[in-house]
Amino acid sequence: MKSQVLQQFQEATRSLVNPELQKWKDQGGRVLGCYCSYIPEEVITAAGCVPFRMRGTGSTSTELADACVSLINCSFIRHSLDLGLRGEYSFLDGCAWVNSCDHVRRIYDHWKRKIDTPFVHLLSLPKKVTEPQVEWYREEISLFKDRLGFHLGVFISDERLWKAIRLHNETRQLQRQLYELRKRKDPPITGAETLAVMVAGTAMPRQEYNELLRELLDDLSRAEGHTDYRARIMLIGGILDDPRYIDVIEDQGGLVVTDSLCFGSRTMWRDVDENASDPVTALARYYIADRPSCPRMFGDHLRRSAFVKDMIRDFNVDGVIAERLVMCDNWTGEQFMLGEDLKETGFPYIRLDREYLLTGVGQLRTRVQAFLEMMGR
Amino acid sequence: MVRQYKYEPHLFRRYKEERDYFSFLSGILAQDPDPISQLSREITDITVERYDQIMQYAEEGKPFIAGYFCAAPEIYEAMDLPWYMIMATPFLAASAPYLLGDIDGAEAMGLGTDWCTACRLSLYYIEAELTPKPWALIGLIHPCDAGNLLHQSVARNQKWRDVPIFATDPPYFEDQRSIDYFAGELRRMVAFLEEHTGHKLDLDRLREVCIESNKQYELWAEYAQLRRAVPCPHGWGIGGPQCFAAVQVFQTGKPRGTQWLRNLLANTEQRVKEGVGTIPNEKIRYFWFDLLPFGWVFEFLPWLEEEWGAVMVMEMFGFTPYTPIDIRNEDTIFKGLAKRNLYDSPMVRQARGPADYFAADIVRVVKDYNIDCVIWPGHMGHKDGSASTGIMREICNELGVPYIHIGLDLFDKRYTTPDECKDKVSKFFSAMGLG
Repeated sequence: MKSQVLQQFQEATRSLVNPELQKWKDQGGRVLGCYCSYIPEEVITAAGCVPFRMRGTGSTSTELADACVSLINCSFIRHSLDLGLRGEYSFLDGCAWVNSCDHVRRIYDHWKRKIDTPFVHLLSLPKKVTEPQVEWYREEISLFKDRLGFHLGVFISDERLWKAIRLHNETRQLQRQLYELRKRKDPPITGAETLAVMVAGTAMPRQEYNELLRELLDDLSRAEGHTDYRARIMLIGGILDDPRYIDVIEDQGGLVVTDSLCFGSRTMWRDVDENASDPVTALARYYIADRPSCPRMFGDHLRRSAFVKDMIRDFNVDGVIAERLVMCDNWTGEQFMLGEDLKETGFPYIRLDREYLLTGVGQLRTRVQAFLEMMGR
Repeated sequence: MVRQYKYEPHLFRRYKEERDYFSFLSGILAQDPDPISQLSREITDITVERYDQIMQYAEEGKPFIAGYFCAAPEIYEAMDLPWYMIMATPFLAASAPYLLGDIDGAEAMGLGTDWCTACRLSLYYIEAELTPKPWALIGLIHPCDAGNLLHQSVARNQKWRDVPIFATDPPYFEDQRSIDYFAGELRRMVAFLEEHTGHKLDLDRLREVCIESNKQYELWAEYAQLRRAVPCPHGWGIGGPQCFAAVQVFQTGKPRGTQWLRNLLANTEQRVKEGVGTIPNEKIRYFWFDLLPFGWVFEFLPWLEEEWGAVMVMEMFGFTPYTPIDIRNEDTIFKGLAKRNLYDSPMVRQARGPADYFAADIVRVVKDYNIDCVIWPGHMGHKDGSASTGIMREICNELGVPYIHIGLDLFDKRYTTPDECKDKVSKFFSAMGLG
């Protein structure tokens, strides 16, 4: 669809620093990198910074990172670390990690040794989703809040945190409205366009992003929908931030109508509870127990599987494509388990491996074509 | 609720084969009067007995569990719960002739080939009904993603859905808050085991086990010190892995294990006094910083000794600092167990948290053991370690000790063949002027 706002979002995915972020920096605003969707971005917003999801956008090689890590490590960490080593992330005032996976947690080790970023912090993220883990993460968030606040010279009060939570919840609600439109028989926005909207949300000042997203929703309410597709696809996987990957799927006629991605629905399907007793507990509960989980969370596969099945039903999905970065153990396991779950119901499902940079387009095209044909589409 | 256990003899088919394999090995070793063979035989005897015990408990309908060395085996012992690892085959019987076929079987199941082979095999054995089903499973969600997803896959596996599972959640850093939290996880593990096996934890019994295991760790540490000697009294065939097997797996807190360590120590002291090395002409002292290549160990490690005079002075499972457990009260015992299992336990120690452990261990081993080179095998499953390779190399550069990262599969010799490994290591030794 043609929308100026949408173009603005799409442009934001093509480089690290988009005009909105540049404007923020020019005005003296601070930006903090986040290496995973489990980092409580609300704390960063409450500290007066823009949380920025780390990517490898614009990277063309990994020579510098390859000296740090190995070829059995995923290409996302090699590209994003390489950008860091080349100084492309010098616009950051700090960077935060959680021990997301065996690959990403090692970027923290290299980053703190080799890259001069004023503030680095890793939150110890539990791997289970029960009450003791909520309590543990509450303490972790509290420590992060205090340390970041001390570093910036900002007192991150409960009031500031609640304000940030409301702002981020507003983002989530707007994004869910966007997804709601995709339930239509003629969705007014493609999967690739949606991913651009979602990625842009992780790279812009949040207030401005919400305003732009409202404009986009307004545009979409008047837009014509897509009807020329062969099948409605749900896309599942980890860190996919390049809409062109989805373009390849959609060019074959598989319209991506929903997802479970790190830059997608898992980050916004639920809200942080604004009625909780204190904001740090509310955040801990949201990140550990409430939001749809990542495969690294033990004991939550049934809920993840149910989430996918609900999506299939609610978005009238015809087939599921599960993509993963080569060498990712979390998604290898999840793809296998989910495949078994869907096999039990006979639902069309395909697993695809990919590299972080868009390569092997011909092979991707062929596999998607075969999948659509297998579905009789 | 205590599970109603059903004995299923067919699940023990492979288990019995492995028991017979170790029994055969014990028989061969028994014929060799060499003291080191006798030390090895004692370990294989113990291994056979462990297999027999699990089978006996299963037949008699007594509770046994599947667990892990880094999930407080002291507790299993104190609760009188015999245990085995669902990863037993790759760890114990990886040189068995069926291993490569089993790896192919795992691939045919659709398990991603870049997923750790030990994990793929373990899942395959469950699906193929080649693993005994325990009363309860203590899963492992650290140190690596592969292990975490293995245990999640086991939990959802149709054939094991009735097996209750619990896993202790590992904090990332090393501090008192983390120890307190993990001690809480261990207490929750005890509650889980009590619920599903009906066995209760007796604190006095746990104290006894901890006292005995403290002795074992002390002897192990003493043994590790003796390996500093030049020439090194033992090579790859005896030492760390057997100490680990005795102390953390088969004989945790048992006097027999303690006696075995004393015997090992006596043999080592004697050799050090006499200046006897594991090979006559030790030329290269290397630190093998991982598990041994279990799947093809006999095709590679003896060759290093014979061809290059290269002796494995230390490896990942032989070197980890051990903190005695303070047995004063329940609180100190659980915190001691938490510390031991999170920060001391080999592989878990290095791979679970920040890369600093890799760096620190290299520094200590290289300095203390007069190491000529560090070999990071780069097992295809050890993604966090291979993501630390630059740090390890830089540390080695600072220490002035050569470092090589091979890139192999410890279980599947087709990934990087033994010949390719030999070629890589030979070129490395030559280029570094070693040997």
